[in-house]
Amino acid sequence: MIRKEAMKVVVNEIKNEIIVAANGFISRDLFNVYDKESNFYMIGSMGLASSIGLGVAIKNPKKQIFVFDGDGNILMNFGSLVTIGSIRPKNLIHIVFDNSRHASTGGQPTNSKFIQIEKIAEKCNYSSIFRVQNKQEIIKIMKKIKTISGPIMILIKINHGGKIGDRIENHPTKIKEYFMKNLEET
Amino acid sequence: MIKNFQSNVFNFLLKNGVENFIGVPDSTLKKFIHEGLTKKKIIISTREEEAIGIAVGMSLSKSKSLVFMQNAGFANSLSTITSLVQLYHIPLIFLIGWRGYLSNDAPEHKKIGKIQPQLLKNLGLNSKIVTESNWKDSCLWALNQNKKNLACALIIKREFVD
Repeated sequence: MIRKEAMKVVVNEIKNEIIVAANGFISRDLFNVYDKESNFYMIGSMGLASSIGLGVAIKNPKKQIFVFDGDGNILMNFGSLVTIGSIRPKNLIHIVFDNSRHASTGGQPTNSKFIQIEKIAEKCNYSSIFRVQNKQEIIKIMKKIKTISGPIMILIKINHGGKIGDRIENHPTKIKEYFMKNLEET
Repeated sequence: MIKNFQSNVFNFLLKNGVENFIGVPDSTLKKFIHEGLTKKKIIISTREEEAIGIAVGMSLSKSKSLVFMQNAGFANSLSTITSLVQLYHIPLIFLIGWRGYLSNDAPEHKKIGKIQPQLLKNLGLNSKIVTESNWKDSCLWALNQNKKNLACALIIKREFVD
């Protein structure tokens, strides 16, 4: 299962919820799979999607906030797990698409294959952690998390590869504008 | 001497709609941070970039935020400022402690202290040095920058060596 396939399954389960997506192919795949106003595409500042998601989650406690992260991204900002696990927002669901690669820079390896990122999240006080690797497991877990409190991490082990998605067409100020408008109105 | 105007800065910004104070502690900003901790309004992050990310998430939720840091952390944050804060036009206030302002400050602060004004200028990040006599005007200026959707920096000089 490649990232885009896994993302389609996840997005189909969460429909129109708020998503903060990491830079690189994570944002590009999301844009191509299901572009919507409640997606925040973080096109630069690698590592910070989970921090932005934390800020949104703290300020919108009645909404579920999803973070679409990558292994390279979270490895750059592991401290984020500490802060999320200390503040413990119940409405934060942190999904890591882990292919053990820096996909958008040419598929160079990350060190995520030697460790278990979700176990670190568990030690950092996340309420629940899951590791899944096929579509059936994703669907099962996505249904299960509807009944439990966060912060939750779902690590989806994926294969490297697939066609490169188109770049995000919207200017960052438009991405922001749509996202803010959606947050306010829903 | 750390001056008391720092607690005025905190209280004034809080009163004027800044709801979130996130950052990494700095001894130059001790009084400011102490005031915030007393009022339970401070979030301490692990790194400065992380603090900026959290503040951006809050700002996207229409909640005004300030990020505090030492200038060492400001140097850490350059890419986050250009590729997130400025790229998306996020109106944040940075509060930066200016280590290396005095020529006899500790050696690790000297270089960054020297290049800090030029770095701010090159970034195009508008800034003001906050002092005991201008703190209110500086705060009003910063709030006004944010109203124009601009991020800006308030700088506090390290005027003592311990």
